Amino acid sequence: MNASAVAVEQLSLTIGEFQLDRLDFALNAGEILVILGPNGSGKSVTLETVAGFHAPRAGRIVIAGRNVTALPPERRNVAFLVQNFGLFPHMTVEQNVAIGLRGAPSGKPAVLPFGKVGKLLERFGITQLARRMPQSLSPGEKQRVAFARALAAAPDVFLFDEPFSALDRHTSNALRDELLSFLRGLSIPAIFVTHDHEDAMALADKIIVLRGGSTVQAATVDEVFRKPANVFVAKFVGVENIFAGRIDERSAGYATLAVADKRLSAFAPAGLGDKVWVAIPADAVIARPPGNAAATAAPRINHLAARVESVRALGPLATVTLDCGFALKAHVMTRDVGAFATGTAIEVEIAADAIHLMAD
Amino acid sequence: MAVEERNSWWRRDAAPSYPRSVFLLCWFLGSVLLAFVVIPLVALTGQASASLAEVLRMADVRNSIALSLEAAFLSALFASLIGVPLAYVLARSSFAGKAVVAAIVDLPLAVPHTVAGIALLMVFGRQGVLGEPLQSLIGLKFWGTLAGIVVAMLFVSAPYTVNAARIGFEGVDPRLEKIARTLGLGPWRTFMRVTLPLARRGIMTGVTLTYARSISEFGAVVILVYYPETAPVKIYELFLRFSLTEAAGAAVLLLIVSLTLFVLLRYFAHGREMTRDNR
Repeated sequence: MNASAVAVEQLSLTIGEFQLDRLDFALNAGEILVILGPNGSGKSVTLETVAGFHAPRAGRIVIAGRNVTALPPERRNVAFLVQNFGLFPHMTVEQNVAIGLRGAPSGKPAVLPFGKVGKLLERFGITQLARRMPQSLSPGEKQRVAFARALAAAPDVFLFDEPFSALDRHTSNALRDELLSFLRGLSIPAIFVTHDHEDAMALADKIIVLRGGSTVQAATVDEVFRKPANVFVAKFVGVENIFAGRIDERSAGYATLAVADKRLSAFAPAGLGDKVWVAIPADAVIARPPGNAAATAAPRINHLAARVESVRALGPLATVTLDCGFALKAHVMTRDVGAFATGTAIEVEIAADAIHLMAD
Repeated sequence: MAVEERNSWWRRDAAPSYPRSVFLLCWFLGSVLLAFVVIPLVALTGQASASLAEVLRMADVRNSIALSLEAAFLSALFASLIGVPLAYVLARSSFAGKAVVAAIVDLPLAVPHTVAGIALLMVFGRQGVLGEPLQSLIGLKFWGTLAGIVVAMLFVSAPYTVNAARIGFEGVDPRLEKIARTLGLGPWRTFMRVTLPLARRGIMTGVTLTYARSISEFGAVVILVYYPETAPVKIYELFLRFSLTEAAGAAVLLLIVSLTLFVLLRYFAHGREMTRDNR
């Protein structure tokens, strides 16, 4: 247990109507945990509890081997980064960074340990911004100042509370990449709270999906996306195809699934009832023009005839909506969309292990 | 950014939702108000400047102005000492009866000041609930003293400090305080280095208003204290006993002194931020 850089054990909390229920996770040095959830799921409260702003009803928080559950925020060695990065607007960049140096007695520039602040500014390439006020900085510059300030306090864990939520997609993607490379260069673990599954996919080593204060799923990124615990998670992480189905037959772990008037084969976990929910990521749906000899030779597992309903290009990938008795979304390369004109007959193949069945 | 929103009302490109005529009408109506405020003060200054020199030679007028400034300073000081913490609590916490507390803070604004004076007399007067024990125990007297003037001024002007400071505190993003805490600053240092500097503009606005309101207070002061005379009381007395001319001279003198102070205080409260915002 002490081997973990951060361990949150059976953390329960009540604030007014809200209840956080036995949250449990552990992080190793350098790992990034993303807590994913909609508004009101308790993700920010969780982060603030780790930071020391709420007293838990039960459970422990261990950071760098120290049980910090009863310590005030200033003694926990956590770095807290929020939307717009929360630079102090009445201080220069230099003063912002210097305030993080523990033990700095006051913000007077004259008594700052210039060497240390200077080194941090240099490390993030923001030396020229030292005398600027935060209001005049770009989001990218703000993020760097916030990093420098956080590092000045030598934290044991980084806590990010939706730092990009006020930014446009383009800027936020760029900052996310920078944040990732920054974190990868350190061996400090990070907890990142967001409602954006793209951020989660891009950053996380581990994901916890929260809903109403309860952990719905705790797993790796791939697991959460490929094997969502339920329809809520599947929708929330953006699985494109979610629909109801019925298990008709089971044999040797396989199930034959009735969806609309079509049949699909899938792995059926034990204990699953006959009425199921089906999740299929669009990138697991292989769509190709028919007439391919190999494909039409014999009916094989999960081959369906389909017709193109619509095509929507999103950068290098396009989403094709197909009608194969039920609506199905597939990803194709945008450069290939010529073969997917609306109304075109298409052949679809889905690997059995890409079809995920859920009870609810 | 908030800074742009705050300054954008006069920018042509920021006001596309109404036709220009609406703004012209607003300006016309607003000009009536501005003229209504400025013209009497200009008229007073114009007519009374002749007697200004004469009034300046009157020691009792000079003393009354000095007394007003001193008492108003103490009133603003006490208002910030006891009002700013209350403003912080009102801004940062929710509790049962918060609306009642806020209403109590505002109460002096709704009470006619002569009524306030009489109420204060009941408490701080010779036979008052506090006035009598305080005199017999520590010799603190409120009738005929500076203390009484300060009490009367404080009563009518403290709401300005509490309300403006509350708005100032409410404008400070609580996440900045949280960040400061995680950076290793304890609650007190967080307050002194983050919260207070960021709420400074609101607090200073409140203190300035309290100071201005204290200088101008007449009703409560005249009932609770009367002597020694503050400037407004002195002006009233000159008006009753002598003539409009002498009263007007003293009035102009008080106007000049208090306006100068008001402008200076406003500059210190806002000056730096204003230049920063307009960059």
